[in-house]
Amino acid sequence: MPSVDIPEAETREQTGLASPWNVVVHNDPVNLMSYVALVFKKVLGFSKDKAQRHMLEVHHKGRSIVWTGGRERAEFYVQQLHAHLLLATLEPAPQE
Amino acid sequence: MNLTATEEGALALEEIPPFLFELVKAVPVRADSSDPRVENRFYPAPALDDLLVEDWKSLVHPELQSMFLSAREVVQADLRSAMELEDEFSMEIPADHMDAWLSALNQARLAIAEENHFGEKDLGEEISPDTSDPRSIALFQISFYGFLQECLVKMQD
Repeated sequence: MPSVDIPEAETREQTGLASPWNVVVHNDPVNLMSYVALVFKKVLGFSKDKAQRHMLEVHHKGRSIVWTGGRERAEFYVQQLHAHLLLATLEPAPQE
Repeated sequence: MNLTATEEGALALEEIPPFLFELVKAVPVRADSSDPRVENRFYPAPALDDLLVEDWKSLVHPELQSMFLSAREVVQADLRSAMELEDEFSMEIPADHMDAWLSALNQARLAIAEENHFGEKDLGEEISPDTSDPRSIALFQISFYGFLQECLVKMQD
């Protein structure tokens, strides 16, 4: 029976898929406060009050965690926030 | 310049003086910058994770690029339908083009700020437009585009 070379599969190990991730929005001096609040409502489905609260947190504290959950969804939200030109990142949520 | 909401939900810009109309026409041009600082601002890293940054560059950036371009094209098309009457201009931003305008105005404001190294202090300055000073024009442009953005945000709120 002829031998068959089986190519080695290239795999990437992705850890922490099940652990929660934070979506963080960072302050930016150019984006209007009203625009940031509007984006929070559109992208994250926030109420007017919640959008306002997080927008003010970004403005005063430099950052706000706007969502916590699974990595795939977190990446989706960061992509949507980047599409609106907001500075957003995802980071592992601290585990208790 | 008069700004009014039409019955169809569009934003009508009327009696725009030539100087301001030049600025409106410049939105898609100023938004389209190849300055590396602007590129960095438009396509920020999503995380510290190198693998994700790499994937992001190859998968997400092209999609964002195409979205930003598409918004600028919508704005260009609206600008082509602007009308001139007795040395003043008028035009409409239809309701379904407002997202594109918000994006293009934001792109333009961010690009101008990055190209001119403007920070919070510069942007908070009181503006007295001086047409002989490029810095003053740039600050005025950011402020004027911000005013248009505010109007669009109010209409969507």
